[in-house]
Amino acid sequence: MTLETVMWIPPIAAVLAALALAVVRALAGPTAFDRLLAANAIGNGAILMLALFGFLTGRPEFLDIGIAYALLNAIGLLAVLKFFRYGALGCAGRVEDKGAGRDD
Amino acid sequence: MIDALIDIASLICLCLGGFFFLVGAIGLNRMPDLFSRMHAVSAGDTAGFGLMVAGMCLQAGLTLATVKLIFILAVALFGGAVGAHALARAALHDGQRPLLANGDGAPVATDPRDLFPGLKARLDQPSDSGAANAPASDPEREVKPSNS
Repeated sequence: MTLETVMWIPPIAAVLAALALAVVRALAGPTAFDRLLAANAIGNGAILMLALFGFLTGRPEFLDIGIAYALLNAIGLLAVLKFFRYGALGCAGRVEDKGAGRDD
Repeated sequence: MIDALIDIASLICLCLGGFFFLVGAIGLNRMPDLFSRMHAVSAGDTAGFGLMVAGMCLQAGLTLATVKLIFILAVALFGGAVGAHALARAALHDGQRPLLANGDGAPVATDPRDLFPGLKARLDQPSDSGAANAPASDPEREVKPSNS
C-alpha cells in the first residue's frame, strides 16, 4: 500500500464516524428541525465521501455525482423547511403576507 | 521532491478536515439545544469541507477535477449558509427558543452552570485536592521570582 492509498484512510474514517454520529442525532432528535439539521450534515458527509472515494479509486467522475448531491442537499433542505413552515409547497403569496412584518 | 511535499500538504489538509468534521458531528450530539447544535455543526462542516476540498485540490493538480471540487465547495458553502438561516428562522417561527432566551426570544442572564446537569454539582462540591495543594504551592511560586 503506497502513500497514495494510505493517505485517504484517515479522512474517510473520520467522515464515516461523523456520518454515524449524525445518524444518531437524526434518529434521536427531539424536534423535526434537529432531524433536518442532521440530514443536512449527512448530506455534506455524503458529498465528501463521494469525492474521497473517487480519489481513492482514481476515478474523479464521482465528483459529478457530488455536484448533483450538493445541489439536491441545499434545495431539499429549503423545500422541507418551507413545507414545515407553511404546510404546503405551492402557496407562497397569501400565507406569507400574514407573517410579514413580524420579525420572528 | 515536490510531489512528496504536495502529498504531505494534502495529507495534513485532509486529516485536519476530517478532525473538524468529526468535531462538528460530536457537537451535533453533545450540544444542549437546537441552536447551539446548528452552530457546532455548521462551523465544523464549513472548516472540514474547506480543508478537505483544499487537500483534494492539491492532490488533483490543475485539472478539471479541481474546478469541480471548487464548484462543490461553493455550492455547499452558499447552500449551507442559506439553509442554516432558513432552519433557524423556521425553528423560531415554530416556537423553538434558544436555551438562554425567555418567551420573547430576548436573551436572559443565566448561570451557565444550570445548562449542563452534572457540571453544577462538579463545580460546587468542595475540591479537597485543590484546597490542599493551593497553600503548599504558594510559597514555591513566591520563591521562583526572587531567584530569577
